[in-house]
Amino acid sequence: MAYTKPIPDPEQYTFKPYWDGCKAGKLMLPRCLVCGRMHFYPRVLCPHCHSDQLEWVEASGEGRIHTYAVQHRAFGGWAEETPFVTAYIDLIEGTRMLTVLHGVDPLKPEEIKIGAKVKIEFEEASDEVSIAYWRVVE
Amino acid sequence: MPNNPSMAAAIVGAAESNKIGYIEEGTTATRLHLEAINNVCKQTGISPSEIDGVFSVGFSPQIAEHLGIHPRYIDTTGVGGSSFVMHVHHALAAINAGIIDIALVSHGEAGFSARKNKGNGTNRPQGDDKWSVPSQFEVPYGIAGAPSNYAHAMTRHMHQWGSTKEDFAQIAVATREWATLNPRAVMFSKETHPAGGPITVADVLESRLIAWPLNLLDICLVTDHGGAVLIASAEKARSLRTTPVWIAGAGENMSHWSMMEMQDFTATSAAASANSAYKMAGMGPGEMELAMIYDSFTVTAGITAEMLGLTPRGEGPSLWADRKASPGGSGIPVNTNGGGLSFSHSGMYGMMLLVEAYRQLAGIAEDGVNGIAGKQTSAKTAVVNGTGGNLSTTGTLVLVADD
Ligand SMILES: [Zn+2]
Repeated sequence: MAYTKPIPDPEQYTFKPYWDGCKAGKLMLPRCLVCGRMHFYPRVLCPHCHSDQLEWVEASGEGRIHTYAVQHRAFGGWAEETPFVTAYIDLIEGTRMLTVLHGVDPLKPEEIKIGAKVKIEFEEASDEVSIAYWRVVE
Repeated sequence: MPNNPSMAAAIVGAAESNKIGYIEEGTTATRLHLEAINNVCKQTGISPSEIDGVFSVGFSPQIAEHLGIHPRYIDTTGVGGSSFVMHVHHALAAINAGIIDIALVSHGEAGFSARKNKGNGTNRPQGDDKWSVPSQFEVPYGIAGAPSNYAHAMTRHMHQWGSTKEDFAQIAVATREWATLNPRAVMFSKETHPAGGPITVADVLESRLIAWPLNLLDICLVTDHGGAVLIASAEKARSLRTTPVWIAGAGENMSHWSMMEMQDFTATSAAASANSAYKMAGMGPGEMELAMIYDSFTVTAGITAEMLGLTPRGEGPSLWADRKASPGGSGIPVNTNGGGLSFSHSGMYGMMLLVEAYRQLAGIAEDGVNGIAGKQTSAKTAVVNGTGGNLSTTGTLVLVADD
């Protein structure tokens, strides 16, 4: 089934290793060689200590729901999928990502638990691009 | 504070475009800007040729060219709806530094007409950057427009502080009460809009879900709106026919731009920008007699009330509870124009905060165009807070009436 939702055009400079990682089924995040902290979205300088010495490492792909919302109105390909649940995920590495949650009932928002454990999964959107999603696992 | 700019300048006039709201025949952002500028110049007696600083969201060179003026100070700060409050801060600094005497802050936004005009006439840069942070990491997840993002803050507030949808709904109800006293408000009455006139908490909760926990009536309007204020040095302000409203304090700040970087989803940088403004003014939240609080959503207003020190942390909606902030209520009046929720909100609402705060403190809130009996309050001080982006940027003013 064709992927009908927005497919990003991977930026080829600062963000490329992230998108290459998604394609390979891995969550790749930038880590600072000076302070050791990770961050997201990928930067030119470490947002914690402003070092330009950054490396890419594979992250655990585990986290917890920080907060969420149920989208009853959306545009483009997402309009066909309403309602769906968006969430900000706290990764165990200490960074935060936005996602659409899998494994929840958008019609019972009160039953979704802030703090619930989630795991990453990747969906092939095109031959070139895969997109990270997070699934509730408890 | 060395060279404290407090009271170095005053807002000396404030006006809207000829028409605001849902302008059925359509308009453009440029027309909205220039109508408002024309109106504020007529109000104050200041000629456009006297304006030596121009402040707007991105459009200052075009405005100056339209007016045929050559300003010495050109500011296009565009950080969302809070920008206009920051423009006042910047104008105060420029006037205090002796660089300019008269600043124009202008707003024109065809939020409603843009649809009719197929996206033209907005003065917005066209096309979206596919390599921007939102295009890469937000749009793929169906995030589109402010409601889809702000809803996450309300969910977190309910989780962290035990607030409820009912608590936030009261903000919309109280704000609508003020709109019924403002004939220019979109939601003034059933005659101005089929959904206008008073509403109840149940109406808010039963309105269409847009992005749970936000229902339609938790969300601001999208209208056409133009507005302009003139700011003058103390000496100039005292020479004009209009009543000055003094800028006692001003501050701005930001906590993040992308919501991924919002550390605490229940707090904004208004705590910091208000701290700057209160400090400059030598005043505190307990001395504020009116609050004009950006209400893009009920949750925006609720959280901001906490940040401004008007309620304890986690209890923002209590500012509006039991009709305390409503006309004749027992607390301070809040959003006396009817707010972005029920008056007018074109996409960026900061100008509307400024115009209403000026009218209230200048004593012209019932001037026959902009209010009916009961709209004018007795407030002599006001705190004004704009919020822009995704709860990202804030500007705060402390304004004081002329004595
Ligand atoms: Zn670092």
